[in-house]
Amino acid sequence: MNVDRIISLLRQAKHISEETVYTLCLRAQELLMNESNVTRVDTPVTICGDIHGQLHDLLTLFDKSGGLEKSRYIFLGDFVDRGFYSLESFLLLLCYKLRYPDRITLIRGNHETRQITKVYGFYDEVMRKYGNSNVWRYCCEVFDYLSLGAIVNGQVFCVHGGLSPDIGTIDEIRSIDRKQEVPHEGAMCDLLWSDPDEVDSWSLSPRGAGFLFGKNEVDQFLARNDVELIARAHQLVMEGYKEMFDGGLVTVWSAPNYCYRCGNIAAVLRIDDNLERQYTIFEAVQPQNGVGNPIIPTKKPQMDYFL
Amino acid sequence: MPLEDSGCIDESAREEVLIPDTEPKRVKAYVLENNEWKDTGTGFCIGKLDKEDEGRATSAYLVVTNEDAPREVLLRSKLEGNIEYQRQEETLIVWKDLNGRDIALSFEESLGCDVLCEFIVEVQRHSETNISLVAVKSNDNGVGSVHEIITGPVSLPSVDPEQNEQTLMESLRILNENVAFEFLKNETIEFILKSDYVGLLISHFHKAEAAKLPKDLFLLGSLVKTLILYNQRDVLEKMTEDEYIMGIVGILEYDTEFPDSKTNHRKCLESNSPSIKEVIPIQNEELKNILKKCFRLQFLKDVVLVRFLDDHNISFILDIILDLQTCIIDFIKVDPFLDTLFALYDERPPEDVDAELIEKRKDGIRLLHQCVQMSKNLDAADKETFYRTLVGKDIFKVLDYAFHKETESSLRILATDTIITIIEYDVLLIPNVQRLKPSSKNSDKEAKDENADQQSKPEGSEISLLLILSAILLTDKSPGMREQVSQALHTLLHPDGCLENDIALENNHPGNVDLISDMNYDMHNGSDNINGFSSSSSHVMESFGNFYSQVAPVLFQPLIKDSKDKNKLIDDDNLLIHLVKLVSLVCTEHNRRISREFILENGIVESLSHLIEPTHNLQLRLTAVRCFKNIMCLDDDYYHRHMISKKLYRPIFKLLEENLDKDNLANSCVQDFCKIVLVHCLSTRTEANGKQQEMLRRKSNFTLLSKHIMEEYGEILQRARQIRVFNELIEFNQEQKATEVDGSDDREDISMDNDVNDSAHLTLDDESKVFKRLHSEVTDVESPFGPTTLHTKKIIEKLNTVEPPSAMLGKLMRE
Repeated sequence: MNVDRIISLLRQAKHISEETVYTLCLRAQELLMNESNVTRVDTPVTICGDIHGQLHDLLTLFDKSGGLEKSRYIFLGDFVDRGFYSLESFLLLLCYKLRYPDRITLIRGNHETRQITKVYGFYDEVMRKYGNSNVWRYCCEVFDYLSLGAIVNGQVFCVHGGLSPDIGTIDEIRSIDRKQEVPHEGAMCDLLWSDPDEVDSWSLSPRGAGFLFGKNEVDQFLARNDVELIARAHQLVMEGYKEMFDGGLVTVWSAPNYCYRCGNIAAVLRIDDNLERQYTIFEAVQPQNGVGNPIIPTKKPQMDYFL
Repeated sequence: MPLEDSGCIDESAREEVLIPDTEPKRVKAYVLENNEWKDTGTGFCIGKLDKEDEGRATSAYLVVTNEDAPREVLLRSKLEGNIEYQRQEETLIVWKDLNGRDIALSFEESLGCDVLCEFIVEVQRHSETNISLVAVKSNDNGVGSVHEIITGPVSLPSVDPEQNEQTLMESLRILNENVAFEFLKNETIEFILKSDYVGLLISHFHKAEAAKLPKDLFLLGSLVKTLILYNQRDVLEKMTEDEYIMGIVGILEYDTEFPDSKTNHRKCLESNSPSIKEVIPIQNEELKNILKKCFRLQFLKDVVLVRFLDDHNISFILDIILDLQTCIIDFIKVDPFLDTLFALYDERPPEDVDAELIEKRKDGIRLLHQCVQMSKNLDAADKETFYRTLVGKDIFKVLDYAFHKETESSLRILATDTIITIIEYDVLLIPNVQRLKPSSKNSDKEAKDENADQQSKPEGSEISLLLILSAILLTDKSPGMREQVSQALHTLLHPDGCLENDIALENNHPGNVDLISDMNYDMHNGSDNINGFSSSSSHVMESFGNFYSQVAPVLFQPLIKDSKDKNKLIDDDNLLIHLVKLVSLVCTEHNRRISREFILENGIVESLSHLIEPTHNLQLRLTAVRCFKNIMCLDDDYYHRHMISKKLYRPIFKLLEENLDKDNLANSCVQDFCKIVLVHCLSTRTEANGKQQEMLRRKSNFTLLSKHIMEEYGEILQRARQIRVFNELIEFNQEQKATEVDGSDDREDISMDNDVNDSAHLTLDDESKVFKRLHSEVTDVESPFGPTTLHTKKIIEKLNTVEPPSAMLGKLMRE
């Protein structure tokens, strides 16, 4: 299997055979199994938020931020659903992982589950592209092996959703057997589903999974773990990123013009060796010939796409 | 409302229509003078047509005559020009006539107002097309008002056969405006359907494309999209008709969003669907049309308009598609279609099987898959009858062919997917199916006999679906096929609904100390019908029995110890992963007594233990550990002691040792294992402190286990003490040891159990005895309905009626 060739096909959104996907997924499993629930990553690193199948914007992301040859990356999950190229986006990231295992870390998002992808597009996309669900099944197996978080230089905690009342220290995350469908409650669920908000303490989340947490919880977590920043994704930010709680938490969003209609810009966060934060923002790809047009005609922006 | 040339109104009809005079309705007439409404008197109002002069056209009037002097006309107002009549609330009509006079009619009852409004509508429709009637209602919140056009002049697109940029631009403006008001929208839709406006656009499209007029082409594209946004079924269906579809997708190849490029939908549509592939020729023309429409709508939705439609449009189109699909499935159900299709798979002498038939059979499998996929979205009732029809007509003939004769992997996968769809809808369809299998000749009769005893079916060459699927899982190497078959087996073997109660009941092995624990297990599962003890469930019990006697030995053969063909070394880890997951399912979800008997007698847990050893791939090793966790969480005395006595957990700690200093999935997996043990142990202690000593008995399994782990593998844990959960487990054991030394109280409490079950007496320090007992118990599980069953039943009944159950426990124990 020639990973470089597959990468080049994927970058053009070309079809990948079912057998190749299977082999890719198996090799990815073997690689991911050796990673910990909270992967250690060194600076400098570029932290990226939700991608949601917007392959062409993902390519822009790599262009604008230096690419894997030059930079290390952490992806905070939600690679699939919503966009038209969920499969290609996810496989491209997997291929990069196989090709540059130390340069890219993939964290699981709340969309990387069987249940959610059946509803929000990935399953349908695979059925459309292959006529059966096998490829979807192979990918879902890989989802189960994805890390739950990452820690940069012991100082920046990365996770898709947020904190959990069941998790006091980062070490406690290590005793989760992560190879499972994301449960409906408990620590693993919260890490992928929770949101920060202006609340005094743990509150019910309107999403029906995870919790809302406020400055108190963030401050406690930072102090207890001797960490200075929580980097997470999971919520659309029109400006691409948003810091909260005196800079103790940041939301990074990397899908520009989300769902091809939200009109937002996207961002990635680069953490350098001095732990300085540098945001790079970018806009959605303009229509081009030959590479599949990633844009749809304008519709009224709808603001209910936070899943 | 500006006057536009309205293309749809038939000029000749205008003269001929006669609107009858309306019934007189009681009314007060007002005119506005000096900004005050002046009452001009009370009378009766009629709407009537009058000829002003001989030879001139009739005109319409609203006339009010004095109620006291019928000859006195209080008001006579002509309906003319572009007067806008406002109906305010229920009983008021207000307008300004062409002389600038404001007039109001206040009706005694809303019915009267209705009649005159109806008259205005008729006049607008047939003669004075430029007047309008608008309903004005105050908002729900009382602030402001809502205007709704009831009738009035409608601007409509030009139907001039010679179109140009200007006319198209104007039409686009009009169509966009009209969509905002219900009345205008409906009138526009009527116009589009009557005037063949779509055809007009298409014919201009061909001209514009030939003459290379890009502006016209883009305008046409926008016009068609606007029409689609009208969300009107007839318009959409019209667009998908044979004579229009190519023109429509052609127009949609031009998109203002991409001014420099053109899609090639026409080419795509032509190459993809030269015609519908007819495995079985369809005679019915109407059905053919529906099939084509359905396909084209999907093409529009998924390809042509995929970037354009919002959720609302999509769900609208989906509804139409669903409706068409329902028609198609309905048709297939009643037509001889299925019979013809299934007859392809009849047994034939080999010389009759030619290449054409083989090809047809392949297509038939695809066709059937597509039908079943399509049925997924239907109403439950439609789906149900369709599946019953399929089953009744013996769909299994097709599946049997797919599984046994067909070699192409992709088709086998489709066949599996078909069966999964049916059983996921209702697994109970399958027992009927299985009954159908033996003799297809009298199958219909048997199918109706819901209570037919499965056991009476002659054993022999016929094999059940479970056996077929098991064989495929064990032999088919295609990973996709395995995934699907494994899912099918999970669905078939998962005892949903009706089976739960039986599991709960049968857990209560007579004379067993785990009586209470098992009942608690019940409670946790929210089982609400424990009394459904025997009759209805016997059928279920039998099918379980059949599974364990006929299927399980085949399915789990690679895991069965001392099986006859020892030589057959299974080193297919991918297959074993699927099998281990199925073991986990039967252990946790099936009738505990039966599944446990099978698992323990066949040495399956021993095999699982071996699978955790380093000779296997890590995915499999961890899957086996997870299966152990699930079994452990059952808190079943037999399993617990068996695993401990045989030291089956050893490989788990070997696995930990391998990964002691690594922060990886294997390490986390073992941490999780220990966390489960620890959490159970700690909750035992809490409950024991809370003076619910009987709970100690239940949880003591875990205390025992943690002690065992510490004795056997404590050294490994000690080396990983920096990991919190291991450290806590070690500390728990140390504290436990300390309390055991002077813990005679505990022992006395436990001995109370003897009053309930005079058989078992376990103490923490009497392990060897425990294990001996375990073995004797495992061997005599064959007598499930022993003398204490009645007692068990009584307790369960009590537990079932009294809340909360925990409050009753103490009392029950003393009984």
